[in-house]
Amino acid sequence: MTAALSQPLFGIFLSLGVFLIGQWLFKLGKGFFLFQPLFVGMVLGIIVLVIMGKVMGTSTATVYTKFYKPGGDIIFWFLNPATIAFAIPLYKRNDIVKKYWVEVVLALVIGSMVSLFCIYYVAKGFGLDQASIAAMLPQAATTAIALPISTAIGGNASITAMAVILNAVIIYALGDWLIKRFHLNQSKVGVGLGLGTAGHTVGSAKALELGSVQGSMASIAVVIIGVVVDLVVPSVAHLLGV
Amino acid sequence: MRQKKPVQDQPKAAPILAQMGIFAAVLFVSSLISPLFPASFPVPTPVIGLILLYLLLTFHVIKLEWVDGFGSFLIGLIAFLFVPSGISLATSLDIMAKSGVQIVTVVIISTVLMLVITAYTARLLIFLHQKLKQFSTTEHRQNKTRLLLKKGGI
Repeated sequence: MTAALSQPLFGIFLSLGVFLIGQWLFKLGKGFFLFQPLFVGMVLGIIVLVIMGKVMGTSTATVYTKFYKPGGDIIFWFLNPATIAFAIPLYKRNDIVKKYWVEVVLALVIGSMVSLFCIYYVAKGFGLDQASIAAMLPQAATTAIALPISTAIGGNASITAMAVILNAVIIYALGDWLIKRFHLNQSKVGVGLGLGTAGHTVGSAKALELGSVQGSMASIAVVIIGVVVDLVVPSVAHLLGV
Repeated sequence: MRQKKPVQDQPKAAPILAQMGIFAAVLFVSSLISPLFPASFPVPTPVIGLILLYLLLTFHVIKLEWVDGFGSFLIGLIAFLFVPSGISLATSLDIMAKSGVQIVTVVIISTVLMLVITAYTARLLIFLHQKLKQFSTTEHRQNKTRLLLKKGGI
């Protein structure tokens, strides 16, 4: 039983199963935002792992590493070529890139600076400790950039990882509602950049659903925000005395 | 099969295995470039790959129809590909249990802040740029009329 479960097949099967249930629920709930397949899949998957841990008498983390991770890692790996694929929507709207590149770069640099200060004070206001505050700062970048930067500025890397993943889940679930609520779709360039910054590649996929301009802007945001976090976060963290 | 209309100049998509080959090649080259960056300035392989593929497309080394099919397929899957990352939060359940409510609340607020601030900043900058352009063109026109008036001897 355990030998069969530690095959990659279990992780792949569980991921597919919970995501398909999510899609089914989403259709059944007529697009209710909490039934977004990614969110449902994540919650159901974690519940399954917790139950397995209780039944087997081990911790959830052990169940995760031993049984889920082998298959989960295979699916996770495909995020690499999927991220590269965002070069295509970017290239398709090269006209927009050429027209607005100054505004795009400036908006991402200024926007992320302002966001950093806001995030710092929100985190402080909620009474988080220093390591958690530092962990919040690099969350605009993808995991591979955010984690080393977080460690460098004295943050808790696992909180950063959690933040980056939650960003994507939140944007995926609440994106449409937030865009409507804050009337963001008045500027296609702006909403694209915002989705790419806040939701990473998942946000970019969401932006592509809105239109080709939004999609290309989100793709460029994923690239530039990574560089901005690399360059800006350590100095801002120093400035804020994190 | 996808193209039902008899459009002759529609370029033919490359075979899916060839498309996968291009993606694999770009990823491989990127994975060789990525370690060249210093540890204090990490640039991960997929980000380099995105830039590389974009440049190859922009400089017409690779044609769009060689990567479009497989690329769109992968982008369509992105929410599913993120499921393992979501489930990996199972290992952070202990952090969540300790101060989870605060942390999750801060992350939710941060996400909304990043989305709204970036979107509004871009909107403001584009608005300012357009105003600036209008201003400079009207000023240009005014200068021109002034010049013309001077030439007219007024």
